[in-house]
Amino acid sequence: MDKGLLAYLLIPLLSAVLIPFAARARRRLADVIANVTLLAGLANLAWLVLRPSMISGGFADIPGDGLTLLLVGAVYLVGFCVTFFSAWFMEDGTPNRQAYYSLILVSVAAMTGVVSATDFFTLYVFIEVLAVTSFALITTDDSGRGVEGALKYFFLTFPASALIILGISILMLTLGSLSFDNLRIFMASGVPSSGPVTFGAALMLLGFLIKSGVAPFHTWTPDAYQGAYAPVSAHLAGIVTKISGVYALIRMAALLHFFDGRALALSDLLMFLGMLSIAVGAVAALRQKDFKRMLAFSSVSQVGYIVLAAGLGTPLAIMGAIFHLFNHATFKTVLFLNSASLEKSAGTTDMEKLGGMEHAMPWTSWTSVVALLSTAGVPPLSGFWSKLLIILALWQAGLKTYAVLALLFSIVTLAYFMVMQRKVFFGKKSRAAEASAEVSAPLLAPAVLMSALIVALGLLFPYFYTYVRMVAERILI
Amino acid sequence: MMNDYRTLLYALAVFFSLWAVMSRKLLISAIMLALVSVSVSLIFFDFGAPWAGVFELSVCAGLITVLFVGAVSLIRAEEEKHPESRARFYALPLAAAIFAIAGWFYLPQFFAEIAGWARPGTGSGTIGLALWDMRRPDLLGQVLMLAAGVFVIKSVFPRRSEK
Repeated sequence: MDKGLLAYLLIPLLSAVLIPFAARARRRLADVIANVTLLAGLANLAWLVLRPSMISGGFADIPGDGLTLLLVGAVYLVGFCVTFFSAWFMEDGTPNRQAYYSLILVSVAAMTGVVSATDFFTLYVFIEVLAVTSFALITTDDSGRGVEGALKYFFLTFPASALIILGISILMLTLGSLSFDNLRIFMASGVPSSGPVTFGAALMLLGFLIKSGVAPFHTWTPDAYQGAYAPVSAHLAGIVTKISGVYALIRMAALLHFFDGRALALSDLLMFLGMLSIAVGAVAALRQKDFKRMLAFSSVSQVGYIVLAAGLGTPLAIMGAIFHLFNHATFKTVLFLNSASLEKSAGTTDMEKLGGMEHAMPWTSWTSVVALLSTAGVPPLSGFWSKLLIILALWQAGLKTYAVLALLFSIVTLAYFMVMQRKVFFGKKSRAAEASAEVSAPLLAPAVLMSALIVALGLLFPYFYTYVRMVAERILI
Repeated sequence: MMNDYRTLLYALAVFFSLWAVMSRKLLISAIMLALVSVSVSLIFFDFGAPWAGVFELSVCAGLITVLFVGAVSLIRAEEEKHPESRARFYALPLAAAIFAIAGWFYLPQFFAEIAGWARPGTGSGTIGLALWDMRRPDLLGQVLMLAAGVFVIKSVFPRRSEK
């Protein structure tokens, strides 16, 4: 485990334990402790990565492989946006305010554990903690839908855990070690029995694919995201499923790259499922009537791009995958937080009942526009660059059909988001728009912050490119 | 003789797990689950894995059972008002029997194949060495898991009882 980052795991854990005691009499103290913990972590990370000497040195002094630090940043950023939003979103009488914040902080600690793990068993332990906290967080909304979402999450992701632990035990049996470094050496050195290793890796990949919600294992995602308590869906879709599934897939794919052509079938399968996910998610999103459900299918589609790139496994593709993972965290958080604002202000996320919301909620409308354009890959926003890297990598590797399809489905992405924007925000004022007003400034702040980040990442792409290239070089060489 | 003892332990583990799933009362299920853990830990001892056995016995049969029994007693009144229909679980022993017969034919070859893949692991030595030197991050994961468990109970139970 990367010990330099241990504090980012321990401090949220301590705050999580502190909250039930400190906030017993004054419930609002729970909001303060959670927000201060995450903001302090973010400030610390910003100092670590963004100080001028670090940027001018091309990020060469970043500890570890750099991927960990980038993802801890994403975890803290989304976590902070969600807790800040929740502090104003949650009704005063909401039960279990303390338990809610404690669970969010434990899940932040678990995600930090996942990304700083250096062997597969530790990774598995933290992924399980994440699964337990996500299950409880989904049921924060204790309507029937919340419970249904949580149960679907449980029944599909726990068998995935069983597959992962089975794969891990076969790797342990055949290679005698689970640490990433040792596995890399074993795989590069020509393992005597490549069949069992491929079998173990295939079981683990299957487990991680289910956890990432990649088609055809995506059936739990729309119900879980739609049914979950509104800020929790932003947390789940923005970062949790990305860390508990997609991150591990990138790790596995980078390892298989060292397997030197002996696991080509697995890489091909990964790319095929990635493409399938892009298509299934995009087509299903076109047909949705509920805003949150449409966003959930859009997530399935965007995760497809990351899996497609991870399956390809060239340095450029891994760069694209990492960059798109980070971008996805930013734009999906904005869109899900905006859906929560809509739910609070207009009382529904049914797109048929909404319309002309732009007049009532201009800030929510325009942050949505920034996020959706970035998701669809429109320049100069951050999503354009990550999709460009992925499509270029596919083209370079001679996979022209995949490259063209990826590009075409980017246009479908733009289409379903345009339909959403027209139905919900633009057009004639609906009855819901007459009755609602823009949410308060603190509720808007996280979406505005993330939108600014989307624009900044797009405009300052050369700096970010240097960082991501450093990461891809370190994990592939 | 040794083989009979092992077969008995396997049979007991299967028997208790079936009982745990089919029992009408949650409390009985929790106790049966503890007995499954006891059988499994005896299997671990038998295979010369005393540390795994000790952990299985103390954590799964001990700690987890206490948690389950505690939670069950919290919701007991509610459970007795609405007893759950278990009719669909009556097919379970049949499914288990089919699985056992299929396993009798195929699993020995499968295990022989897996044993052929084996390669000695790097981990050995005392439990202290394993926990404090080799697997320290996992301990952190376990602490996190315990904290998560406590918060889950805090978050889910009060609401359910209010309703």
